[in-house]
Amino acid sequence: MKTSIKKMTGKWKRPKIMLKIIVCIKQVPMVSELPWNPKTGTLKRELAQGMMDPSSARALESALQIKETKGAHITAVTMGPAMAEEILHQAKALGADEGVLLTDPGMAGADTFLTSRILAAFIQEECQGFHLVLCGSQTSDSETAQVGPQLAEELDIPAIGFADQVEINGREVEVHRHVDDFFEILDMDLPGLITVDLSAYKPRYLALGGVEKAFEHPWIRRLSARDLGFDEKFSAVKESPTRIIDVYSPTTQKANRVLKGAVKQVVDQLFEEYGKVISSAMGKDLKTHEHDGV
Amino acid sequence: MEFNPCMKHQLIRKTVREFAESEIKPHVSTLDRESRFPWDIVEKMKPLNFFGLQVPHALGGAGLDTISYAVVIEELSRVSAAVGLCVTVHNSVGIFPILEFGTDKQIKRFVPPMARGDSIGAFCLTEANAGSDAGGVETHAVEVEDGFILNGTKIFVTNGGVCGTVLVFAVTEGEDRKSNTGVFVIEGDRPGFSVGEIEDLCGMRANPVSSLFFEDCWVPKTNLLGRLGQGIRIGLTALDTGRIGVAAQALGIAQAAFEDSVSYARERQQFNRPLSKFQTIQNYLAEMATAIDASRLLLYRAAAQKDSGRPFSAQASMAKLHCSATARDVTDKAVQIHGGYGYSKEYDVERYFRDAKVTQIYEGTSEVQRMVIANSILSQPR
Repeated sequence: MKTSIKKMTGKWKRPKIMLKIIVCIKQVPMVSELPWNPKTGTLKRELAQGMMDPSSARALESALQIKETKGAHITAVTMGPAMAEEILHQAKALGADEGVLLTDPGMAGADTFLTSRILAAFIQEECQGFHLVLCGSQTSDSETAQVGPQLAEELDIPAIGFADQVEINGREVEVHRHVDDFFEILDMDLPGLITVDLSAYKPRYLALGGVEKAFEHPWIRRLSARDLGFDEKFSAVKESPTRIIDVYSPTTQKANRVLKGAVKQVVDQLFEEYGKVISSAMGKDLKTHEHDGV
Repeated sequence: MEFNPCMKHQLIRKTVREFAESEIKPHVSTLDRESRFPWDIVEKMKPLNFFGLQVPHALGGAGLDTISYAVVIEELSRVSAAVGLCVTVHNSVGIFPILEFGTDKQIKRFVPPMARGDSIGAFCLTEANAGSDAGGVETHAVEVEDGFILNGTKIFVTNGGVCGTVLVFAVTEGEDRKSNTGVFVIEGDRPGFSVGEIEDLCGMRANPVSSLFFEDCWVPKTNLLGRLGQGIRIGLTALDTGRIGVAAQALGIAQAAFEDSVSYARERQQFNRPLSKFQTIQNYLAEMATAIDASRLLLYRAAAQKDSGRPFSAQASMAKLHCSATARDVTDKAVQIHGGYGYSKEYDVERYFRDAKVTQIYEGTSEVQRMVIANSILSQPR
């Protein structure tokens, strides 16, 4: 009798729900030194060769690894001009199931607040029943790290930033991250949003066969501001509350300092003054090793 | 007429450039200095389909068009001409003739391991007394009841030291040597086949170019590619494809030498101003850029012609002739711009200079390319 119950329970399976992942990616200029538009404080992107932002690539890599282990449907979405379509083909070539380009003259010049609103409008309108949104922690062109958290706020879902590792466990996600001198392990209910740190998930190289296959079915969904429910006069640049006051290249100043004296004195002084910096760089507390027979 | 690369070709260029700069560039000087074949890099290239560039997906390849293939070879060669050489020879004269002239059984037997990169391909025609003159080949195949027995020595075989599958051009019995030629596929572990010493060459030193020996090497009839008598045709078709690859390789070398020259001319100060402010150097850079651009257009036209299914032999020869001359000229100017440093192994231009020369020699010398082009002109009806 027990055996037959086992058999019966064995036959009954909860219908498997395909995990729906949305990866927000961005095309950034390939070179760091680019002319700026002094009036708007934005990059002259038309002069640049584009590439997938490195932290977006890591967010995509984390999604691909989830897909490989748990199965998932990955939607790669980007907001940008027509040339940004290239990174959607790249995402598809890597293993994303679909690519969506949010493009409209009215979206140009959006700050992080408007970008989050537009992305949120897309997810709410077109991705009902989604489980996880993945973003890069910060893009290489502006480094604000604002879009991910703002998008979570717009969608009213929980968020974790700067993840090193993302693991799906049923309806929850476990996130490992390195914050200051600590490693944290966090659980979060789904749906939720995670931004993936630049140091995590080394992106895989694109296989050439993947590129060819992606272009055999080159369809990329294009949605305008109107498609997402914004009115005809929508102008992100006008509605963006952020005003860029100044943009300039940072200058780095190095000041070399030579510690003088006996070896022990110099080493003591070095750890006294720079111990925290060295500990942080090495990722371990050096104080525990200070009397290791030296 | 569209002169801008499409999004696919742009993406392929970026993909290969990223791989080459990250995985090959850090080792390229050492590989050249030690004349070492980069097996570890090959392992990384295998899953990315570098060894099955134009092989259909169903056989494990990338299924690329010929322009994409040219872009891949150009970008690999921009960083390492020796790695570019391995990949182009493997794909063009190694795999292509099997796909073009092989039976279904031969294709299924030989191509998948090659496309995976598990068996590196080589093509051998050149002998001590035969190079540009394919009719002078002395390696012979004697037909026996159950196959052929090959005897002979091939020289200057690219990938020779690492090959797992070799296409051998040989003559069979008969008076008319040209019509009694055949191409045989020889597996690397076949008894009677052996690899000679690695050649000590001027450039491309990370590619193990060697002699190959065939001593009473028996092969079954199923290893004959196409039919007996088709050898010349298979050889010439393979070389036409190979020429697109060598042209792309030459272009990659020229591009690298040009980029290094521009950056050096901006940095190097003489007479209290950068070299780039001197008109002579500006003229050099302008000539280099123009020659490279013209080469690129000729190359992509030949590749597009092949993709369209039209005859491309003359176009491939023009591309090869011009790209290799450009590589030679641009690398020469690059050394000149770098001055004494350009003659030193401290800078990459010295390697580009050595690597460039052979692109005017192998896969048909520049003189042979002129013959092919002239024949194409003079064979047209008046």
